[in-house]
Amino acid sequence: MALRDQLRVMVVDDMSTSRGLIANALDSFGIRNVASAADGPSALQKLATSPVHLVISDYNMPGMDGLQLLHALRTNGPTRGIGFLLITGRADREIIDMGKRLGMNNFLKKPFDPAGLRAAIEAIVGKL
Amino acid sequence: MSDPMAEIRASFFIECEELLESLQDGLQTMDDGDTDPETINIVFRAVHSIKGGAGAFGLDNLVHFAHRLESAMDEVRTGRFHPDGEAIRLFFTCADVLGDLVRAARDDDTVSSDVTDPVLEKLEKLVGVEEEAEEDLDFTPTTLSLDFGDDMALPTLPDLSALPTPEPDPADAPLPGGKGFTIFFKPDPALYLSGNEPLYLFRTLRDLGDLTVTCHTTALPTLDQIDAATGHLSWTLTVHTEESEQAVREVFEFVDGLCQLDITPFATVPSATLPFPLTATPFLPPLSPPEQPASTAMLPDPTTVPETLVAKDTAVRVKPVETPPSESSAPAKPSGTPTQPHATVRVDLERIDRLVNLVGELVINQAMLSQSVTEAGLPPNSPISTGLEEFLQLTRDIQESVMMIRAQPIKSLFQRMGRIVRESSASVGKEVRLHTDGENTEVDKTVIERLADPLTHMIRNAVDHGLESPDKRLAAGKPREGHVTLTAQHRSGRIVIEVSDDGAGINRERVRAKAIEKGLIPTDAQLTDGDIDNLLFLPGFSTAQEISNLSGRGVGMDVVKSSIQALGGRIAITSQEGKGTTFSISLPLTLAVLDGMIVRVANETLVVPLNAILETLTLTQDDVKALGPQAHVVQIRGGFVPLFDLGAELGYRPPQESYVGGIVLLIGQEDGNRAALAVDGIEDQRQVVIKGLEGSYGPVPGIAAATILGDGQIALILDPTDLVSQASGRTRSRPPQHALAG
Repeated sequence: MALRDQLRVMVVDDMSTSRGLIANALDSFGIRNVASAADGPSALQKLATSPVHLVISDYNMPGMDGLQLLHALRTNGPTRGIGFLLITGRADREIIDMGKRLGMNNFLKKPFDPAGLRAAIEAIVGKL
Repeated sequence: MSDPMAEIRASFFIECEELLESLQDGLQTMDDGDTDPETINIVFRAVHSIKGGAGAFGLDNLVHFAHRLESAMDEVRTGRFHPDGEAIRLFFTCADVLGDLVRAARDDDTVSSDVTDPVLEKLEKLVGVEEEAEEDLDFTPTTLSLDFGDDMALPTLPDLSALPTPEPDPADAPLPGGKGFTIFFKPDPALYLSGNEPLYLFRTLRDLGDLTVTCHTTALPTLDQIDAATGHLSWTLTVHTEESEQAVREVFEFVDGLCQLDITPFATVPSATLPFPLTATPFLPPLSPPEQPASTAMLPDPTTVPETLVAKDTAVRVKPVETPPSESSAPAKPSGTPTQPHATVRVDLERIDRLVNLVGELVINQAMLSQSVTEAGLPPNSPISTGLEEFLQLTRDIQESVMMIRAQPIKSLFQRMGRIVRESSASVGKEVRLHTDGENTEVDKTVIERLADPLTHMIRNAVDHGLESPDKRLAAGKPREGHVTLTAQHRSGRIVIEVSDDGAGINRERVRAKAIEKGLIPTDAQLTDGDIDNLLFLPGFSTAQEISNLSGRGVGMDVVKSSIQALGGRIAITSQEGKGTTFSISLPLTLAVLDGMIVRVANETLVVPLNAILETLTLTQDDVKALGPQAHVVQIRGGFVPLFDLGAELGYRPPQESYVGGIVLLIGQEDGNRAALAVDGIEDQRQVVIKGLEGSYGPVPGIAAATILGDGQIALILDPTDLVSQASGRTRSRPPQHALAG
């Protein structure tokens, strides 16, 4: 069974458009287990009941931003090992450095195409 | 739309409208002097999100503009630029252009660079953003090792089901403070085969202290593969107790060897170290409510953390997101601020309309059923009658709820008016500030959409004709800046929207002269101030001495009036010379249902809207006074009210000889005047479903719509104000000889 069949992914973005775009791309890669959340807290809540291997999260979200979500994941035992791909509109050095320190697995700058997303995911989990 | 990309694209544009709205909102808040960083963040985020989405769809023009605006907003956000009034006005213009670009992209249209470039130029000049060079960011992705084991042997995700297994790690303690244990419990199939039931174990455990139970369902196979005799579930339980580990073990004594059982005390760590209230494991509804005090947590190592995270509530009861402070020192925003997102569902309007129609049918059906039951002569206390009574209540509740789905705040419309004011004031060289109030008043979606045109016209009128030029204002001792106020409120079952200006008021002499010149009124007409003001609503009336390019281009207030009337509304005007003019629109709450009084006139059944009826009375000899062969008045408590014979006005029969003993409905009109309508009898009072007539018949004077009654009969719904104004207009303007002849 290929990795893509087993991989569980959660997409976190406050814009439903972005969630839809990413989910659509994931679907085209053959990843079927995709959950989504509109903000950090609901992502954490959903992860508590159905864990995933990889979280793909937007950086700029109201309330809890992507890095805050990453921090919450990393400081909580069961979610500590979840892979984290940050999507940013502005790839500031500051954001990337902070992500690095918090244990971000990879980042992807907007706008991106499905191939870019796939590459960013594969860099974390291996060939899909 | 089966193409997923097309669907996502469509939803992007809907989302853009919401973002544009919050952008306008944020700018308005900034314009009002608010310097809250969160407000600026909202503004920034709105532009940022539009840019992000547009990038994904390759909408380059939109991306380009949004990017420049985003950069400017970033300057504001980071405190490098402090916007003044002028800057904010420019931001508003940018937001307007951004909106144009969004809509152009949606409709495969383009916005000329003649529009966008000057705005960007101004923006650059004002804010002076330097395009930052794309930084070369070195980042090496870290690989995640996902061991899925042997594919064939393990079709499920073994390492996921193992994820929640608590390790003896301090940070894993799910609940801050106190003494207790975290228990991982995974029954072997033998446990079930020997007749044990985990639920009873959990209940016993609950006796030891507060218990939180989490069920792990990740090992559950798909339904076709499930073996009911094999347990697939495991649990993590946390129990707050002073009891010893031994006491906890004793609970599981009888299943010893039939399960995997790990018991870990969690009191080994200092309390309140969790940075975020994510409990280690999932929850089932707790058997007893866990007591978890909200706590502001210390972070393990503050230097590695960007911002303080504030714990608010337990994870199971995560509420709509509280806005955490953007700086560790800033206090958290109180809940209920507008920045708080709500959980929403987008539904195709067609589906809602279908539901509205079905509920309408349900109401009619219910009425028919009630009537049959009454006619069957069942006693009022029979189970059928009482059941029907409850059914009636439920139907009404459903109807109200359905109507509420269609209602939305009028805010989006008001925001559009902000732009109209900005653009129209700029084009006529006036300084105008728009004030809005009651933006959260909820109005039926259809009404909002259909109000846009008339309201736009009224706002333009207010700016163009209502307000004086800055010089004239100064000369009149007024501030240079004119004010236009737009308000909405619920008033006695209707929505009242007012557009007022603090301009010169209506120049009645000029209006009168113009009306005479256009032959709209006779030269010797005796008109009250109110009559003159209402001349503005006559077709083709325009008082602007020079027709500006803003208003008065063929579309007059008569068009505004008829669009309002088409919505079942009315428009009234009040004006004070030198002080300003107010247009007041009154609209029904919904276009779908109406509380009506069922009346009988000349063997016809009619519905009169209940909210129009002030009272009903039976006439005596003394009450009716004849003013002429066809004009009567009713004397009510010392005042006189014109009497109209409904049967005659609607052409059902000739006017009656005498009204003594007859029933009249006293009608209150928008302008505060009253009128009496003579009817033959009152039958009932009930809610009716409005079925429009215009699709089939066009507008009928005096008639608002139709409905279907309980017995299946069609009845017309009266528009009393229109009927009275038609009737009184006829009596007033009709030359006497015609009245005598006919």
